Parts: sequence; C-alpha cells; structure tokens
Amino acid sequence: MQRLVPDPNRNNVLVPDGVEIRIEDLSISFPDKNGSSTIHALTNVNLEIRQGEFVSLVGPSGCGKTTMLRAIADLQKPSSGSITVRGQSPREVRLQKKFGIVFQSPVLFDWRTVRRNVCMPMEVQGIPKPRRTKTVTEMLEMVGLMKFGYKYPHQLSGGMQQRVGIARALAIKPEILLMDEPFSALDEFTKEKLHEDLLKIWHKTNKTIVFVTHNISEAVFLSDRIVVLSPHPGRVSAIVDVDIPRPRDLSVKQSPEFTALVAKVRNSFEEM
Amino acid sequence: MKNKTWKKFFASPKWVTVAWVVGLIIVWELGATYIATIKRSPQNVLPHLWQIAESVFSTQKVNGRQTAIQLVLSNAWITLARAGIGFVEGACVGFVLALLMSRFRAIEKMIFPYLMIIQMIPILGMAPIVLAVTKDIDKSRILIAAILTFYPVATSTLSGFKAVEKEQHDLMYSLAASRSQIYAKLMIPFAVPYLFSGLKIAAPLAITASILVDTLQGGGGLGCMMSQSLKHAMSIYVFWQIVFISAIIGILSYQLMSWLEKFFSNGRPISKKKLSALQVQPAGKAEVMES
Repeated sequence: MQRLVPDPNRNNVLVPDGVEIRIEDLSISFPDKNGSSTIHALTNVNLEIRQGEFVSLVGPSGCGKTTMLRAIADLQKPSSGSITVRGQSPREVRLQKKFGIVFQSPVLFDWRTVRRNVCMPMEVQGIPKPRRTKTVTEMLEMVGLMKFGYKYPHQLSGGMQQRVGIARALAIKPEILLMDEPFSALDEFTKEKLHEDLLKIWHKTNKTIVFVTHNISEAVFLSDRIVVLSPHPGRVSAIVDVDIPRPRDLSVKQSPEFTALVAKVRNSFEEM
Repeated sequence: MKNKTWKKFFASPKWVTVAWVVGLIIVWELGATYIATIKRSPQNVLPHLWQIAESVFSTQKVNGRQTAIQLVLSNAWITLARAGIGFVEGACVGFVLALLMSRFRAIEKMIFPYLMIIQMIPILGMAPIVLAVTKDIDKSRILIAAILTFYPVATSTLSGFKAVEKEQHDLMYSLAASRSQIYAKLMIPFAVPYLFSGLKIAAPLAITASILVDTLQGGGGLGCMMSQSLKHAMSIYVFWQIVFISAIIGILSYQLMSWLEKFFSNGRPISKKKLSALQVQPAGKAEVMES
C-alpha cells in the first residue's frame, strides 16, 4: 500500500504520495574481512525516491552507495531501519520481478548469444516463446544492437556488452531500474553515447531509476536528484536537485548551470 | 619466399609435434639396432618399428583361429566396451555427486575427504576386492573404470559450480529464479568446460585401468592378451601391437572428449582464464586444450 497524503488542490481528498522507494533510518553494518571489527556501511539514512524519478547515488568508494542499492534490491539485509518499495518490502517486490538490475560488469552468460542473454530473464519468468522473441527484438532495437543478436558476448565491445545488460534488465519490463556503476569501465565516448541512449530509454519507458556512480558529471547529466553520500560511516551528506530542463543532450554539458551543479556536488564532497 | 614458408612452419606448434614423432622414431630405431647386436631374440626386447608394422599385415594365425591383428582388435573391443561403460557410469555418478555436493554443504564435508581415500587405493589393490564383491569379470572391470572416472569428474565439475561469479548469482536471485532454474540456466552451463576437463583426464585413465586389471585376471581384453602373449609363444608381435593400440585408444579417447566439448560449447570460447584456476588440470594438457 502506498502512503496517502492530502491532495493540495482539493479539500479532504487523499491521494497516493507518489513515493516509489522510501528509506527510513536505514543502517547496514557487517563484519570486515578478518571478522575482527564491524564496518558501518550505512547509518541512519532517510530518503524518498519518487515514481519515475532518476536519482543518482554519488560518493567516494566506501560510502555505502552500492550497499544501499543492494539493500533496495533485496541483495543485502538492512541491520536496522526499513525500506519500502511501493509500500511493500524489497523481498516482495523482488519476488514479483519488478526490479531490473544492471551491474558494473555486464554479467552476460558467455554460452548464450546476445538474443538468448536478453531472453534469459523471461525464460525464468515463464513467458511463452513467441512473446519472448518479440520482446527480445524490441529490446535490441531500443539499445541499437539488432545486427548483433546472434553474436556471442565475447565478440562484442565493452560498450555493446553493457547495452546487452541494459536490454536484459529492461526485458522483463521492471518498474524500477537499479544501476550499479554501469558505465564505469567504459571509455569516455562510449559512455556519453550510452548516457544519451539511457535518457531516451528512460523517457520512453518512464521507469524509476536509481543510479550509482562516482562520476559527478555523469550524475548531473542524467539525474533529477543527486544524493551525495559520505563515508565512514556511510550517510547522506547532501541532496542536490538538478533543474536542468529535459530532454537534455550533450550540449548541456557546456552550459553554466551544468558547471555550477557539478561544482555544487563537488563542494558537498569537500565539506565532509 | 621459401624462407618465409620455413619461418611459418617453425612458428606453428605443428613442427614441435613433427619433431617429437621423428625424434621418437629415431631413438626407437637406434635402440632396436643396438639391441639386435647384443640379444639373441631382439624382438622380445625392442623390435624394429617396421617389424611391428609388418606383423599387422601378417596372415599367419596366432591362436589357430585369428591372425595377430584380429586377435588384438577383438580384445581391444572388449577392453574398450568395459572401459566405455565404466566411464559413462562413472561420469554420471561424478556429475550427480558434484550436483549434490554443491547443493548441500554437509554432503560435501561428509563425503569429499573419503572420495579422496578411494582415489588413493591403488587399482591393483582394489581389483581383487572388486572382483570378490561383483563375482563377475566384466562387471568388476566396468566398476573399476567407473571408480577411476567419477573422482576427476566430480572434483572438476564441483570446482566449476563453485567458480560461478557472485554477480551471476545476484542476477538470478534478483530475478527470483528457482533453484532448479539457477542450476539449469546458470550453474550447469557454466560448469560444462570444467566437466569436460574432468572427462579428458578420466577417459584415458579408465582405459589404462581396464587394461591393467585385465593383466591380473582372465576373461579377455587387451591386458589379458598382453600377459598371455608374453607367457605363451603365440607371437611376440601381439604384445607390441597391443602396446601401440592401447596408446592410440588412450589418445583417441582424449580427442573424443575434446570434440564433444567443442560440440557442446557451440560457439562459446573455451575460456583459458577459468580453466587455469582448475587444479586437477595437468600442465601438459592445458596447452592442447587451448590450441
């Protein structure tokens, strides 16, 4: 169930508050590699991510940004506090297969062709074959890999492999797309191309995207909001609204607003 | 131009093989020539290669019914059938064991150390016991081939299951895949190259074991014929033919596994990185697989 709030325009009418992911007092800690001490990956994090929003989690390594994403995806158990996704627990949402995850490495199955990689999540879901084939074609068209459907992952460049990863995540039509530094291993040109493509896909599909990165300009270019996390222990140190109008293209990066926002995010790092 | 083709030839791994074969023939022939000067019946120690080749085409009946090569091939077939059945059975058992061990940690902890003990008992020590238990010559040899097969298959397949990357597991988890889906779509296909590296080690082993156990007991087979050919004066060349046929069968069994692997990994590269992590992989065989 979604939380209800009074409609600002009408009296005595309650409407859903539009919050997709609500994180309340989230703390996550786990023992370090030797087991001798405890790492506090996140402490007392509060965050609301609205439906259809593009939110980036930015911070230096060790700030718990990936841990937070994993907690949303039910890949990591919170130590205390709670996460609700559309009023449900992450586990329930995962079992309904509403998460699409794109990892830092593409995590493709090297024994499957591109088409069959994209198809795999639908096989798990038990979607009948004709529909699978149709969706795979749609997804490959969307990421611009129609010509490469019958190639194997090792025959593709890193950028293409990551596109396959995105196509695979989108194939099951998830409500929420979780991306963990998906472009960090790519060169600058490929990265910029994929940024534009990702924004196009986002406009088309209207999904909520949580995007983890350590690249500030990437976060500013893509996001509606940037959550700046600071390390030891991981906590939210600032939330920066990105009010650059959409649709954005690469020319945005030359604008003074863009530079100002990058500086603002960077400054909130330095204040730590 | 001519120079270039020579360079190409020496750059390719083929010339190493050629050099080995030529080298072995030279050493063998030198030895045979020397033995011929000091022994009264040199063919019992080291005959010339052409003498062995000649014996293959000999029409002389060695046991009243068959020529030397007929005798050798019919016994080779017996050995191969036993080793083959044992190999397939052992491979299946090994694979299922690997599945169970990867699925249940307790089973791995419980049986893995004891599997190793079975492996440490010499085949020659095991053979009489197995025969006493099975009370059947055929069955006992099949069983021994199976025992030798299942261990490399089980260990290498298990290490394949364990080598699946964490993120790949995360992916399946996030898709809420069932355990059987995780095995069918991720773990088993991932472990295929590992399974085959186990099979490649096991195939020649199963044949060697089968031949070795033949020498102890009757009931036909290459090993049985081998010891008979030494004891009875049928023809010493039966012995030499068996030596070569056994070697050829062993190599072919390995080759067959490589072909099967290529067939089953349709198009997928046989990853060098992953397999180098395999400890059961003998150093010499890694090169063959990569080429």
